[in-house]
Amino acid sequence: MLALGLTTLLLTATLGAGPSCTGRTASGEVFATCFEPDFGPVVGTGLRLGPGPAAIEVLAGLLLSTGEESRSKGTPWYNRHRLLLTETWKGEHTGYTFTAYDGLLRRHLEDGFILVPTARPLRIPFPFDVAVALKGGHLERRAWEGPGWVLETAQVGLLVDPLRANSPRRWLAVGPAASHVLRHTPNGTEHEVSPFTSLRLDLGWRSEDGWWTVNASGLAGWSYDFEQGTHFRARAEGSVERVVLALNDQPVAVRLAGTVIQGDAGLARRNEWTASAGIVLRPFAAR
Amino acid sequence: MLPSIAALTCALLLGQEGGETMPPAPAPPLQAEADQTAPAPLPQTGGEPTTAAPRPQKSAAPVLPTQKWEGIHYCVDLPPTEQIPSGHYAAECDSAKHECRVAPLNELDASGTETDRPLERSQGCVVSQSLLDTLGEYRLLPATASAPPGWYRDEQGRVMQFNFDLHRRIWLGGAWAPRWVEGGAGKDNRVRADFGMDFEWPQGPSRLHRLTLFDTAVYLGDDSALDATMLRYEFRTEEHEPLVRVTTFLGEPARHDIFLNLGVWTEAMHLEKVRRDGARADFLALSTVHASLDLWHSRDLVSYVRVRAGPSVERDLTGRQLTLVPGAALEGDLTLDRDGFHHLRVEAEVEKVLLSKTVAGRVARPERLRLHAGYEAILLAINDQPVSLVLDGRGTWRDDLAHVPARWEWSAQAGLRFSLWAPVRRSAPLAGNGKG
Repeated sequence: MLALGLTTLLLTATLGAGPSCTGRTASGEVFATCFEPDFGPVVGTGLRLGPGPAAIEVLAGLLLSTGEESRSKGTPWYNRHRLLLTETWKGEHTGYTFTAYDGLLRRHLEDGFILVPTARPLRIPFPFDVAVALKGGHLERRAWEGPGWVLETAQVGLLVDPLRANSPRRWLAVGPAASHVLRHTPNGTEHEVSPFTSLRLDLGWRSEDGWWTVNASGLAGWSYDFEQGTHFRARAEGSVERVVLALNDQPVAVRLAGTVIQGDAGLARRNEWTASAGIVLRPFAAR
Repeated sequence: MLPSIAALTCALLLGQEGGETMPPAPAPPLQAEADQTAPAPLPQTGGEPTTAAPRPQKSAAPVLPTQKWEGIHYCVDLPPTEQIPSGHYAAECDSAKHECRVAPLNELDASGTETDRPLERSQGCVVSQSLLDTLGEYRLLPATASAPPGWYRDEQGRVMQFNFDLHRRIWLGGAWAPRWVEGGAGKDNRVRADFGMDFEWPQGPSRLHRLTLFDTAVYLGDDSALDATMLRYEFRTEEHEPLVRVTTFLGEPARHDIFLNLGVWTEAMHLEKVRRDGARADFLALSTVHASLDLWHSRDLVSYVRVRAGPSVERDLTGRQLTLVPGAALEGDLTLDRDGFHHLRVEAEVEKVLLSKTVAGRVARPERLRLHAGYEAILLAINDQPVSLVLDGRGTWRDDLAHVPARWEWSAQAGLRFSLWAPVRRSAPLAGNGKG
């Protein structure tokens, strides 16, 4: 009987080991303490530093995160979608970027493998998850550079994830990427392609309670212009967010972000760096 | 595999020797009824376990029988063993033979020990008290759990896809693609990167739709080029009423039906950037609509040989004019094996550019002839995503490039292609022992 009681107690403790997502005031009122940073709309503002004077930055977008079982393969997919992402900055170097879609789709296997289709299939261990990064309709416009725009019509990355986390909250995906970019100036429109000659990295980490959010991504490699030849370009972006308060259970986070670009910023393919600090509000993110 | 068999056998031995749920067993069944490929059947209570256990054969490893996917699998608990500590099994029983094929409900590791991972893509099991009450009357045989059509389950219980539908996939690939221009100095060194999405769905038994999005091939190196189509859609049909019935009266009267299996093939936004001998030309086919006639197709409509013809509205981006381009093609797309590992594609296409304004250095009504033969074979699969070898031969003759004489160009291409999605084919079979 004692053993049964202890077992029940241990089982209860184990089941309740996850973070409690509800706090309670002294008067008994409840409030949310866990958040889902990859779901719902996001708006933010901050100060942006870079070449030239500081500028005010505003960002907005829609985030979706799904975990679902593949119908054809019967294994989980952890998908992260970012839609209609807009970032604009006002100052001496006014400009904006707009991304119609940016997503990372990761298929998780407990026991990754390579199948060699011999008469009796041979199974070789393959310690990676497979992920696909998709990006479409990324427009960059810099008013101070004069007329023209840069449109990345599509980017596809075929990535592997050595972390193989059975969770949507952690990933480290790296692999080759292909992209097509249009650079439009009054002199015409240039096509630029990178046929898997770039390396893409995508990293993310969220704390279980959703208070901390870390994102990093990088792209480096060669792109080919049909008229002008080959260019090397690289860019790295990172951000850290920490929820500091919630207004009516809607989390407000402090956000620090930075970008380093070599040979890929704007129409003139400039080298550039930026750093920004601000706040972001994620309505409907309470779990 | 042998540790798996040994683990299963030990568990079954214990289950039959000392299981509390086992009533006294009747006389053992006839040896002749046993599966010839399976380990030896186990003696019932009272036998000598050490002599009853299957002896691993060093010359040829025994193959465990496989449970049937369509069968009913009953939950059975046997006494825990070192290899199968949970003692949880699924049993498929044959009441006529009085034997049950028994497989663990969890995957095994390489040593044959049970892991905490439940079998993937398994139908699970149902509890039957009546079976549990009479289980002692059955001979228990170690088996491999069943797998759904198009999947194979190994002795450790892990599933692998062995049947792939390459007409439903997202593909990414690269190839070495040198080009020879007739009368040229030598070969152009080029590589090809390609990308696209294929979707296919049947509509009843007699119509098949196929959609391709962003079919893109980029050639880089000497005279870089691009061939990309934003959307391609087609459907083909199987007619059940013959268009013409021909009856012959030479010898016994015989009727020969001629069917007209028509379809539609369309393209939207097909961009071609051509570079040859320093000349440049860009063509954007805004819309193409062809009627197609299947000369032959497979029963599932997936493989075919057909002709198609129709007009296209094309924008000559270099000459800045709109033209009408009628075209015709004879093409075949054949899936050569049941599991979708081998594919053959051939195509011969001719086009003529009409309504073109006069362009200096070019004939008034240019023509294009394209030949293509390609073979794709799946080499391996990474996490159930196939990687295939792609071999292509291409030839093009054209006189639509200003100031460039009409000549043949040939290209031999070899590369790899990675396919995402690629579910099992709709006609996928069940796997038996071994693959399929």
